[in-house]
Amino acid sequence: MSEARDKLLNIALVGNPNCGKSTIFNQLTGLRQKTGNFPGITVEIKEGRMQFPSGRQAILTDLPGTYSLYPTSSDEKIVASVLTNPKDAHYPNVVIYVADATHLEKHLLLLTQLLDLDIPVMMALNMSDTAEEIGIKVNAGVLADRLGIPVVAISGRTGANIQKLIAEIEKLSDSTAFSEKHFYPLQEVEKQVAEAVCLNFSLTNAYQALLLAHHYEWLPFLSEQNQETLRAIVQDKGLASLRFQVDETLDRYDRFTPIVQEAVQRPPQFPSTPTDQIDAVVTHRWWGPLLFFFVMLLVFQAIYDWSTVPMDWIEQFFAQLNVWLTDILPVHWSTDLITDGILAGLSGILVFIPQIAILFFLITVLEEIGYMARVVFIFDKTMRRFGMNGRSVVSLISGGACAVPAIMSSRTIGNWKERLITTMVTPFISCSARLPVYAVLIGLAVPDKRVFWIFSWQSLTFGSMYALGVVAAFASGYLMKKVLHTRESSYLAIELPVYRIPHWRNLWLTVWEKVGAFVIGAGKIILVISMVLWALARFGPGDAMAQAATKARQEAQKQQLNQTEAADLLAAYQLEASYAGYLGKVIEPAIRPLGYDWKIGIALIASFAAREVFVGTMSTIYSIGSSEDAFILREKMKKARFEDSGTPVYTLATALSLLVFYALAMQCMSTMAVVKRETGSWKWPLLQFSYMSLMAYLLAWVVYNVFA
Amino acid sequence: MQRRYRTIPDLKVHESAHALAFEDPALAGKLTAMGLLPGTLIEMVRTAPFGSAYYIKADGVRLALREEEASSILIDV
Ligand SMILES: Nc1nc2c(ncn2[C@@H]2O[C@H](COP(=O)(O)OP(=O)(O)O)[C@@H](O)[C@H]2O)c(=O)[nH]1
Repeated sequence: MSEARDKLLNIALVGNPNCGKSTIFNQLTGLRQKTGNFPGITVEIKEGRMQFPSGRQAILTDLPGTYSLYPTSSDEKIVASVLTNPKDAHYPNVVIYVADATHLEKHLLLLTQLLDLDIPVMMALNMSDTAEEIGIKVNAGVLADRLGIPVVAISGRTGANIQKLIAEIEKLSDSTAFSEKHFYPLQEVEKQVAEAVCLNFSLTNAYQALLLAHHYEWLPFLSEQNQETLRAIVQDKGLASLRFQVDETLDRYDRFTPIVQEAVQRPPQFPSTPTDQIDAVVTHRWWGPLLFFFVMLLVFQAIYDWSTVPMDWIEQFFAQLNVWLTDILPVHWSTDLITDGILAGLSGILVFIPQIAILFFLITVLEEIGYMARVVFIFDKTMRRFGMNGRSVVSLISGGACAVPAIMSSRTIGNWKERLITTMVTPFISCSARLPVYAVLIGLAVPDKRVFWIFSWQSLTFGSMYALGVVAAFASGYLMKKVLHTRESSYLAIELPVYRIPHWRNLWLTVWEKVGAFVIGAGKIILVISMVLWALARFGPGDAMAQAATKARQEAQKQQLNQTEAADLLAAYQLEASYAGYLGKVIEPAIRPLGYDWKIGIALIASFAAREVFVGTMSTIYSIGSSEDAFILREKMKKARFEDSGTPVYTLATALSLLVFYALAMQCMSTMAVVKRETGSWKWPLLQFSYMSLMAYLLAWVVYNVFA
Repeated sequence: MQRRYRTIPDLKVHESAHALAFEDPALAGKLTAMGLLPGTLIEMVRTAPFGSAYYIKADGVRLALREEEASSILIDV
């Protein structure tokens, strides 16, 4: 008895898109969510821990929203493949079925399918606050009785009845009884198929067997042999999959519609909601696209301008910390490692938290209020010209935050070709990891003068980098559309949800989670790379470092340099003699045409793991040897000169060329890993890597030569 | 020849009609699951800014459909 209680329960949230699942997930798990949307870790499904009042713990899984167990896109397929496979790690002991109380008549189809699968399920009747507001009364007692499951009216937004929901889940998980009610009586052909499948696979549930037969072609847990068996059964019995699916769906509606009519009392007329008035503008022929343009402009302005104050705070904090650490720590190489290696690398990235947070915040707001679905509608035609789907807009915009979750969000696209193109071009969109690179380089080379009324040259350059990414994405989409061929049909058919004021808790949690994942994920890589770089820059082959030191001292005496100048000279000579200098020099011939010196070469090499490493690398490289303020990277970069010609390295031309290179090159291992996973082969990420790098190199070369 | 049915693109803005049947079985599966069934009252709300797609209301639910999708849904006259 107590053993069973101690075992971790698996609970899953299931429901239609936009029913409020994520909101309830956040209510139930709070900060105990496991996330993995950034470097390295990529989970398919969101998981979190929840605790019952008794102290018992459970794993809560948020499955993607879907209308039915007959999926049309790969995120919907996840739901069907988990729920038809009791051996799946996510297979739930109990399902919380989330339904929208304001549209119950559309939300019970999937529930009746779960009931036929004999999965213990309870219903969370969500949005009951809105239902009450617009005068819809739902009788939970009648529903519970007719469906044979517990029903709790809740509000994910106000938190009303969440405690009751939790208590019901625990009760249900103790009994693990499922409803006696079944909905769909199989037709003769389906019965025969189900019997044969049950026999072959020793199943007991006829509906589960039927689903295997419908989905045998893509269910991931079936072996090839299983698939053969199922194919034979389907062909033998003549199960015309599509027709039976539609018949089944219609039959289910016939059976649950009377229940809804009995349980729901609605006002005679649909109350007019602000959604219609808002959409009259948002999806308007002229105002719609114009508004979109302004929203995007606002986003970039916000990222660049609103973040300066908090960024200054962070910079100052690190400067103080560095001074303080240098004071209290002994003079030793390990102190150098901490201040010049780790701290320099870390501050280079942490300073961008405000910008990243603003970006994630704004994208989440657009999703939450329901604006993204409108953008899908407005730009579907445009996107199709470029081989994509209206839904690709969501991926491309999210790509402004991070390509990894953005590529995963392309799972809602059903058509293989449109999805592949979206996956291939999304990394062109400037992600938050490029932000630090842009910020440093633009601050360095572009004059800080205002033009027009609120824009500055700097934020305009910044905007152009984003525009460049967009153009590159669309251009390559167009090319791929011409090259790739598929006969698979493609659909838009998307629901436009009612507009809602964003829920602060969802916003806060999402931003917290994303920024946290960024800091931890990127932080780890940066930490390692800055330590490696520090070592590479501090040590050199043979006695090269010692020789460089002697030479620097002689030179300093000859030129009668003061102490700081002498130290800088020493640092420069030593860096050049180090392993890092050696590496940079090796690739210098290849990058000199783009205007880069060997120091940038070092940063480029390091950036191929992850581009956000650039700033940290530069900080590390330029702070080697001088123990004063390591955080005036820009100032130091400004002073950098080519050794042979003595001309400044960071001219406008070099900076722009570097900007273009970073805008277009594929420098992110996490993205490559996720592309490999989503496309199922290394072919695509390698192709992507090659053409993006080639394009980056060529355009950077052009830009350098135009501006030089 | 007199047609006995129309399709969604034939609707004028704010005009309504009942859905009769679907010509594309795969789309039928998707739309029925979303709540657009034979018999559902459909209202044309507007066409997309760049054309080629429709914003409709099916029994209070707002849907966006492409031209091809909309024209595969038969509606009464
Ligand atoms: N009024 C109200 N809004 C809610 C409730 N639950 C969720 N929402 C809102 O509904 C929208 C969709 O919710 P979300 O959790 O993202 O839905 P999901 O797509 O099912 O995960 C969001 O704007 C939420 O803030 C609720 O109980 N009442």
